[in-house]
Amino acid sequence: MHAFINFIMGPMVWISFLIFFLGVIFRLYKMFRLVNKTENFIYSYMSWKYSLRSIFAWLTPFLPVSTRKRPVFWGVSYVFHVLLFLLPIFLLSHVVLFEESMQWSWFSLSDSVADILTIFVILALIFFAIRRITIPEVKFLTRMSDFLFILIAALPFITGFLAYHQFFAYQYLLIAHVISGELMLILIPFTRFFHMFMAPFTRAYMGSEFGNVRHAKDW
Amino acid sequence: MKLKKCIYIVITILFVTAFYTYSQEDSHPTIDNTVFENPQRTQALFDHDSHNEKAELEDDCSICHHVYENKKLIKDESSEDSLCSECHFLKATPENSVPLRMAFHNRCKECHFESNKGPVLCGECHIRK
Repeated sequence: MHAFINFIMGPMVWISFLIFFLGVIFRLYKMFRLVNKTENFIYSYMSWKYSLRSIFAWLTPFLPVSTRKRPVFWGVSYVFHVLLFLLPIFLLSHVVLFEESMQWSWFSLSDSVADILTIFVILALIFFAIRRITIPEVKFLTRMSDFLFILIAALPFITGFLAYHQFFAYQYLLIAHVISGELMLILIPFTRFFHMFMAPFTRAYMGSEFGNVRHAKDW
Repeated sequence: MKLKKCIYIVITILFVTAFYTYSQEDSHPTIDNTVFENPQRTQALFDHDSHNEKAELEDDCSICHHVYENKKLIKDESSEDSLCSECHFLKATPENSVPLRMAFHNRCKECHFESNKGPVLCGECHIRK
């Protein structure tokens, strides 16, 4: 068991990060190659000004009209996406483990704050799942894989929460936590989680087309 | 039938967890953590004598109670009369690059991983009450 724990909390962490980074580079390379091969005419109207304008408009909470039409969904979505990054990066246990292997540390949240924020993340994911079941137009577009991805995103948070509270089977829950976190990291470049890297390019394209071709705002 | 089964399972789980919770002793010796400001976790479990007996350390105190001078380990000298926090400060300093928390964590975990024995996960030492 010790050798296994040592592996998943040691080398496997770096392997996961390596797959993550190489995967991201590979996917972006593939995207640019495809654009250059089949639709390089888009460069005639791509613009930095309209790209950045669109990216910042959509990064500003409740600036786009459609976000104001569905304030609950977008409100939950903003909180969820921010916490998805903040929590793992600033969780004390993560910072401590990083410090002990790399001699380098940074600011961390107190455990009790992180505990409550974790509940927010889990509730947000439950909200997304319920939304996919109950809202007809969303249900129409929902496939089983949507629930699978919600589950994959939720697992590190659920197992982390249960392990932190040491309710039961602590050792197994923590192992599940580590593995599910690494799984998520590895899957990001190769699944629809990749929208976290694709989003700025989608916005850049839409912003440029709306700004340069249609002479309109895209938010 | 299904409902009945579910109720039985829930009752069993409640009993087992209740038994488990109340049967845990809370008189385990722990490491004094008062030197830390606002510690986030419970005091780490550590019973000095029974640990050393189990780990078969015999009288070699210097494995843990080591002495460093000018960043070099002085062999066969031990420091069991001083506290860890006398040399390992809360933050790393030019004289000692290993802060106290890291000293505790690495001291325990390195040996435990090497010997394939003992706690290595956060909650195996920092047990919630």
